[in-house]
Amino acid sequence: MTRHPVVLELEDDLRRSRLTVLFRLLLAIPLLIWLVLWTVVALVASVIGWVAALLLGRLPQGLHRFLAAYVRFATHVGAYLAIAANPYPSFKGEPGYPLDVTIPEPQAQPRWTIALRLPLALPALLVAAALGSGLTGGGGGGATGDSNAQWFTTSGVGGVAALCAILGWFAVLATGRMPNGLRDLGAYGIGYTAQAYAYLLLLTDRYPNADPNALGPAWSLPDHPARLELSDDERRSRLLVLFRFLLALPHLVWLTLWSVVAFLAALANGIVALVRGRSATPLHRFLAAYVRYVAHVSAFLFLVANPFPGFAGAPGYPVDIAIDAPAQQHRAITFFRLLLALPALLVSSALGFVLVVVGFLGWFAALVTGRMPSGLRNLGAIAIRYGAQTHAYGAILTDRYPYASPALRAPEQPEPPIEALTF
Amino acid sequence: MLWLLAAVLLWRGVVPDDLRVAGVDPASLVPAADLERAERYERFLRIDFVLSQLVLLVVLALYAWRGARFAKESAAGRIGTGMLLGMIGLALVWLSQLPFRIAEVWWDRRYEQTDAGYVESLFQNWVALGAEFLFISFALLIVMALAGRFPRRWWLGAAPAFVGLAVLFAVVAPYLFPTEPADAALRADARRYALAQGTEPMRVAVEDVSEYTEAPNAYAVGLGPTRRVVLWSTLLDGRFSEGQVRVVLAHEVAHHSRNHLLEGLGWYSLLAVPGTWLIAVATRRRGGLAQPAAVPLSLLVLVGLELVSLPLQNAVSRHMEQEADWVALATTRDPASARALFRNFSTEALADPDPPAWSRLLLDSHPSVVERVALAEAWRERERER
Repeated sequence: MTRHPVVLELEDDLRRSRLTVLFRLLLAIPLLIWLVLWTVVALVASVIGWVAALLLGRLPQGLHRFLAAYVRFATHVGAYLAIAANPYPSFKGEPGYPLDVTIPEPQAQPRWTIALRLPLALPALLVAAALGSGLTGGGGGGATGDSNAQWFTTSGVGGVAALCAILGWFAVLATGRMPNGLRDLGAYGIGYTAQAYAYLLLLTDRYPNADPNALGPAWSLPDHPARLELSDDERRSRLLVLFRFLLALPHLVWLTLWSVVAFLAALANGIVALVRGRSATPLHRFLAAYVRYVAHVSAFLFLVANPFPGFAGAPGYPVDIAIDAPAQQHRAITFFRLLLALPALLVSSALGFVLVVVGFLGWFAALVTGRMPSGLRNLGAIAIRYGAQTHAYGAILTDRYPYASPALRAPEQPEPPIEALTF
Repeated sequence: MLWLLAAVLLWRGVVPDDLRVAGVDPASLVPAADLERAERYERFLRIDFVLSQLVLLVVLALYAWRGARFAKESAAGRIGTGMLLGMIGLALVWLSQLPFRIAEVWWDRRYEQTDAGYVESLFQNWVALGAEFLFISFALLIVMALAGRFPRRWWLGAAPAFVGLAVLFAVVAPYLFPTEPADAALRADARRYALAQGTEPMRVAVEDVSEYTEAPNAYAVGLGPTRRVVLWSTLLDGRFSEGQVRVVLAHEVAHHSRNHLLEGLGWYSLLAVPGTWLIAVATRRRGGLAQPAAVPLSLLVLVGLELVSLPLQNAVSRHMEQEADWVALATTRDPASARALFRNFSTEALADPDPPAWSRLLLDSHPSVVERVALAEAWRERERER
């Protein structure tokens, strides 16, 4: 995996000050005002930089430094607002904030990509908007920051990071810590947005990569009873891509019918789990097949996988969900399952919007190239995994809460030292 | 023998066998300029149709030859893969017909038969296309499930299943298109005509088609309690007199009173049995329709059979339309309006009043304008002699 030159640096210990989190929006007002002012200047600077880059083939050093500081500052403000970092950021956009971006030195760029930068950046800006860092308004990061209401409105379009902030706000007030998965997902959205703006503002000519693995940090991914198994080769049949929605229609009809039965089965499974402390094996098997089938249909519809899926939710699809056998579940969690599932359902629906964007952009890419870009594919796979974990949680297949991290697979563990192997 | 007996019974109608129909000169109906315009307009559409069918056959032949390779794009089982291959075939058909539809829209716009844009004309029927994808999936589900169980006799079960589906579609069809209730005068006329024709009154609705066509039309739809007559809004935009609209209304009511929709289902049944048998026989070399690899070939055979049976289908349709015209004349007793209406079809909808014989055979589901006017004249003569 080639890393993107705009790297996300994450040195956050998840601890949060409850007091500053409680008043986070109010505390951020000076930052937002400063961001708006900076955005106006950055807008002018970016136009000058565009003309200069067209002439010189690269962004002049001074302008590069100024715009890089602007992107860093916008990232810090986004991280602060999204509760992805704790300390109050500096107004200078200096490096060293717990959630930071490293921006490469100015380099020569092909002039045609400079000339067409704005239209080329539009798909990336659309993904950034869906990931909803709060920096995705028109004209630059600060354009969304002139009022808190607008920030939430913009993020609300598909605002994954904004949603992480809202859910994290409650979690931090209760525990004093930001949940790891939510922090990682919010940080990912902010990091991708920084890449998108770095590209738009000519700080790099490398296109933003939606693959979370390309962003920098090694995202955590604890073991979960509902796991993603990805064996897709990114190849896509153009004919199947062209008619994807029509081809998916029989599945959508079948899924609707199956959902009605699955809903009733989940209710029954909940009752069984309350009585026995674990779900009934036949119901578990039926609902696991349903969860897999939803994942398969989503993967097919949104181009995260290529082949036409089967109708039974059988394992073996290139984007699959492995679900563990029934295990003991906490009865209190089962009893309050619907209520507890609400935050996960919110995140799942926000990621569902991301999946739609992935499918929309991927449709054009796959139609032209016959392949799905790996970044979009991986982002879609992550959204599908979270959706499947939410379904598994809602259907009482497990009492383990869905994990929101953007990791595709668990980071590789370093080889243990020799001494550790001695008894 | 049974088949022939059923066909004879279905063919019976109320138009007298001894009716003397005199020939009508198209030039006496329509001004020479209009006549030439209508002929030119329809000539292009005929060529467009012939070419589109040739391309369709070529595309489906290629698909029958190489289409099974798309099975590798499926992670579904036997039936699911068959569904995929069926839908891909439909997609290829849609793609292959696209240039001809574009040409048709271009021609319609040139002759002021539509003012709709190309994009809206081509994509207005996405819902219908989606319904076709669903239908072919469902049809293949039935066929392949039966063929898996009865590899050589599946057609005996499939034909009744398809007839059942056709009946279901005929019942629910009125709810598939958005319509508005017709005005009180039209409803009263329809009620009067229904009672005069000895059937229960039915609903009359208006479908707004003004966005994509200028052509006038009407149709009878539904079965039993869902029966209704639908008039296109283009018929009521002032180009046709009240008398002419009443002729159309009586004609559509006659389709219901003469049970033409049920008769149509009867003919469909008669064609479905040999049709499914022929498909079963043709696909045996590919392992039969239990195997997904046979699906592309089955589509080619199906379309081939459709084309071969077109003359029969059109003959049956023209026969029913002629009967509906006759009953409408008897109901309205207004042959002058009928004549004016049919004449307007040539000047407004650019229907060629006297198309060539091959066009009648392959394309025309209605009698020609000349034949319809001649029937109106024959009815008048017959009434005069009484």
